[in-house]
Amino acid sequence: MRFWLQRLGAAILLLLTVSALTFGAMNILGDPLFNILGPIAGDTENPENIALIEAAEAEYNLDKPLPVRWVIWLGDFVTGDFGVQFSEDGQPPVSDLIAERLPRTLTLLVMAQLMAVFISIPWALWSASKANRPVDRASTVLTFAMIALPNFALAVVLKYVFAIQLGWFPLAFTANDPFWSRMWQMVLPAITLAIPAAAVYQRLLRTDLITTLQEDFILTARSKGVSRNAVLFKHALRPSLFSFVTIFAINTGALIGGALIVENVFLIPGLGRAIVEAILREDFPVVLAIVMIVSAAFVILNLLVDIIYSLIDPRVRAA
Amino acid sequence: MTDLTRSSGHDTDHPHLDDAAASLVPAIAGIESHEVPGDGTEVAAKRRVGWGFWVSVAWIAMVVLAAILAPWLPIDDPEVTQPTRVGERPPYPPGSEFWFGTDQLNRDMFSRTIWGARTSLTVGFVAIAFGMLVGGTLGMLAGYFRGKFDQGVSFVFVVLLSFPALVLAILITALLDRSLFTISVTLGILSVAPVGRVARASTISFADREFVLASRTLGAKNPRIIVRELLPNVVIPMSALALLGMAVAVVAEGGLAFLGLSVEKGSTWGKLILNGASSSRDLQEAPWMSFAPIIVLFLTVLALNFAGDRLRDYFDVKEAAL
Amino acid sequence: MSVTSPTGLGVSRSTSDGPLLVLDDLKTHFRTERGLVRAVDGVSLTMERGESLGVVGESGSGKTVLSRSIMGLLPSTAVNHGSVKFAGQEILGLPTKQMRHLWGAEMSMVFQNPLNSLNPLMRIGKQITESLRLHLDMDKSNAEATAVQLLRDVHIPEPEKRLRQYPHELSGGMRQRVMIAIALACGPTLLLADEPTTALDVTVQAQILDVINEQRRDRNMSVILVTHDLGVVAGHTDQVAVMYGGRLVERAPTRTLFANMKMPYTKSLMRSIPKLDDPSHTRLATIPGRPPDLVNPPQGCRFAPRCAYVRDKCRTEEPPLVQADSPDHVYACWYPVGSPEFIERDAEVKASGLLTASAGVGMAG
Repeated sequence: MRFWLQRLGAAILLLLTVSALTFGAMNILGDPLFNILGPIAGDTENPENIALIEAAEAEYNLDKPLPVRWVIWLGDFVTGDFGVQFSEDGQPPVSDLIAERLPRTLTLLVMAQLMAVFISIPWALWSASKANRPVDRASTVLTFAMIALPNFALAVVLKYVFAIQLGWFPLAFTANDPFWSRMWQMVLPAITLAIPAAAVYQRLLRTDLITTLQEDFILTARSKGVSRNAVLFKHALRPSLFSFVTIFAINTGALIGGALIVENVFLIPGLGRAIVEAILREDFPVVLAIVMIVSAAFVILNLLVDIIYSLIDPRVRAA
Repeated sequence: MTDLTRSSGHDTDHPHLDDAAASLVPAIAGIESHEVPGDGTEVAAKRRVGWGFWVSVAWIAMVVLAAILAPWLPIDDPEVTQPTRVGERPPYPPGSEFWFGTDQLNRDMFSRTIWGARTSLTVGFVAIAFGMLVGGTLGMLAGYFRGKFDQGVSFVFVVLLSFPALVLAILITALLDRSLFTISVTLGILSVAPVGRVARASTISFADREFVLASRTLGAKNPRIIVRELLPNVVIPMSALALLGMAVAVVAEGGLAFLGLSVEKGSTWGKLILNGASSSRDLQEAPWMSFAPIIVLFLTVLALNFAGDRLRDYFDVKEAAL
Repeated sequence: MSVTSPTGLGVSRSTSDGPLLVLDDLKTHFRTERGLVRAVDGVSLTMERGESLGVVGESGSGKTVLSRSIMGLLPSTAVNHGSVKFAGQEILGLPTKQMRHLWGAEMSMVFQNPLNSLNPLMRIGKQITESLRLHLDMDKSNAEATAVQLLRDVHIPEPEKRLRQYPHELSGGMRQRVMIAIALACGPTLLLADEPTTALDVTVQAQILDVINEQRRDRNMSVILVTHDLGVVAGHTDQVAVMYGGRLVERAPTRTLFANMKMPYTKSLMRSIPKLDDPSHTRLATIPGRPPDLVNPPQGCRFAPRCAYVRDKCRTEEPPLVQADSPDHVYACWYPVGSPEFIERDAEVKASGLLTASAGVGMAG
C-alpha cells in the first residue's frame, strides 16, 4: 500500500513540475496580452485602449505575479476549467477544443497500438521458434528498416502508394462523414504509426522469448510431451511479456509525437494539429492544457504498467 | 571476451547438462537451433561487428563527406533555377542530366539533397554532442556520487522524459527562434535525459567494481577516479549510443521540418520532403521530389541505427564477461 | 507405438515381456565449434520392469546426457549412434512428433532444480493437469481430482490448497515432490530422475528418495536415478552403473557393487564420501585432477591420468568391459581391486596419505 502511495505522490509532483515549467515558459517567453488584444496591447497612448488593456489584465489576472497566476490556473485546471483560448476572434473555452479534437487523436492512438500488438505478438512467436535461421535473420533486417524510416517519410510513401496510386483511401479526413467512413480514413495514418511500433515490439518480445526458452521449466514442459507451439504460447509467452508491457506504455508517449506528424500529413484535425497551431499563435491556455493532458497520460500509463506487472507476475504481488 | 569455447569440468551456466559441451549447446531440447555447429541462439557470443557494420559506416562516411565538401563539389547551385527544356515544364523526372530530377522551381534535386545533408547532419551532430556532453557528464556524476545529487538529477531526467519530445521541441523553437543553433541545442536538450540515464546506469555498474575500489585505496581522489577509471569505460557504450542518438536527432529535425518548424534558412531533408508532399498533386505527378530525399534519409538513418546497434552488441558482450 | 489402453492410473500399461529398456552401444555426440564432443561414448545396459537403476558419476561423466539420450530430449546439435529399445521398440532417432506421445505418458523426467524447473507463473494444479489432459484426455474436474490424489501420493499436506498455489509459495522439498507428481501423473513406465536431491537439504533428500521408491513399488515403475553421490544409490537402487568420461566403467547389482567393487575409480568415489564415524579433522579425500576432455579423450583408460593405481598398460590400451565374479557385474580395468598389482600399489597409496578416509589413517600426514 505504501508503495502505491509513494508512486502516486511522485506522479503528482511530476505533473506539478511539468505544468510549472510550461506555464513559466509561455508567460516569460511569450506575451499573452498581445495574443488577446493584438497590436493595441502595446499602444498605451490611447485612453480607450488603456481601458481595454486594464480590463483584459483584470480578467486574465495578468497583473498578478507569476507564481500566483500559476496557482490560480492550477486550481481552475483541476476542476475542469481549462480557461479560454487566447485568440482575437472570440474566446471559446479551451475545453471545447479539447473535447472536439481529443477523441480523434485517441482513436488514432488506440488503432495504431492495437494494430501494432496484433502484428508483433504472432510475428515474435514465429521468429522465436525459428531463431537465427535465415528466415529469422531476414525478418530482423526487416524490423530494422521498419524502425529506420521516419514516420513522416513513411506517411508520404504510404499516402502515395495507397491513397494516390491505388486510391483505396481518401486523401483527407472529413469530419462530417459517418462513423465507419471516418474509421476507414484513420486506417492509413494508424498503419503509419503502427509499423515502427510493431517492429520495436517484435524485436523486444522475440529477444525475451528466446531468453525464456532457455529456462529450465521449458525443458520440463517439453518433457511432458507438450507440443512446440503450445510451449511457446502457454509457457514461454507470459514470462516474456514484462519488457513488452513497459515498452508498450512508454511507446504510447512516443506515438503521441508521431500522431503530430501523421495528423498533419493526412490532415486529421486532432490534438496534434491543435497544439502545433496553438503554439504558433501563442495561445497558451490551449498549449498548457494539451501539454498537461499528454503528461498526465504518460504518468497514468506508467502507473498502469506497474499494475499490469503485478497481475502478470504473482511474485510481485507478494512483494 | 566470454570464453564460451573452453570446456569446463563443472556446471556453470547450464546446470542441467553437466558435460563439457554444456556451455556450447543450447539448453532447449526440441526447439530448433541453427545447424552450424556451435552457432546456437542469441546466447552465443557476437564477437564480430560484421560486414553490415562496415557497409553502414561507409555510407555514413560518404554522406558526411559529400555534405562537408558540398561547396566544392561540381554540382549545381541548389537554389538556382536551372534552364528549362523546350516544350516541357518542370519538375523534371530523374535522368542523366539531373540524377534526382528537379523540383517545381526546376532546382537540381541531387544538389539540394546534398546541401540538405549539410544542415540535417549538422543538427544531428550538434544535438547528440550536446546531449552527450551535458547528459553524459550529469549522468556520470549522478551515478558516481549518488545520494541527493543523484536524486535531483534523476528527477530532472524523468521530467524531461515526461514531455513528449516533439511537443517540447516545437514549444521551445516557437518561443525563441528557429535558427540552426536554437534547433540544434533544443534537440540536444531533449537527448540529455536518454543519454544521461545510460551514462548513469553505466557508471553505477562500473563504480562498484574492484578496479575503482583499488584506485581509491591507492589514494586517488574522486575527480581522478572519475576521469581515469570510469570515463574510459563509460565512453565505450556511449559511443554506440552516439550513433543511435544521431539517428534520432536527424529524424527529429526531419519531423520538425516537416511540420514547417525547422530552420528558416537553407534546406534540410525534412523540408525537401515536405516540399514534395505538401500538395497531393505534386506528390502524384512528381513523386521523386519527395522520394529522393526520403531514400537518402532512410539509408542514412538505417546505417546509423545498424552501426550503432552492432557496436552496442559488440561492447555489451564484453561487459557481460566482466 | 503400440500401447494398450490405460488400465487405470498407477498401473503401467505396457504388457510386453522382456526387459523394459535395452541400451546397445549408445553414443551421443555434439557438434560444436571445437569439434565433436563425445559426451556418451558407447554405453550398454539392460533394465527390467520395476527395477531401479542408479547412474553414478562426476560432472562431465556423461550421466545427464545419458538420461536425456534415453528420453530423446536433446538439442539438434546432437548426433546419436547405437540403439535404445524401450519395451521392445527402437526409439533412438524417432522424430519429435512421435516421441511426444511417449514424453510424459510412458517415460518422464524429474529435474535437478525444482524452483527453476517449474513454471513460476503457472499454478501448480495447472502444471499437473496439463499432462493429464494432454495424454489421457481428461476433463477439467477429473484432472483436478487426479492431481489432488497425486499430491497425496507424494505426501504433500493440504493437496487441494496446493493446486491453486504458485511454485514460489512452496518449500524446496515440496516443489520437488510436485515435480515428481507431475512426472507420475500419467502413470509412466519409466521415470528418470536427474540429480533429484542435489539442490535440497540433506534432511529432505532422504524423504524425496523414499517417495520415489514408494511410487516405484506401488506402480511397478522403473526408475533411473542419476547422481554424483554414491550414498544416494546405496539404499535406493537395485543396480548401479558407474560412468566416467562418457563410458560405462562398472556395472553391478547394488549390493554386489558395494561389497565387491572392482574399479579403482569406484573405490575412490567410495573413499571420498566423508563418514560420520571418522575422527574430526580427517582430511576430505578427493580425486585429484579433472574429468577428461570429451573432444579428444586420452588414449587408453580414460581415468588413467588421475588414477593412483595406474600402470603403463593403462595409458596405452583401453580396458574392455569384462565380467567379474557374476555375469551381472562388469567392469573395465586392467588392474582391478583385488588384483596383485592393485594390492601392491594400495600399500603405497595408503602410506602416502592419498585417498584415505578410513578411520585412524591419514590424519594430517
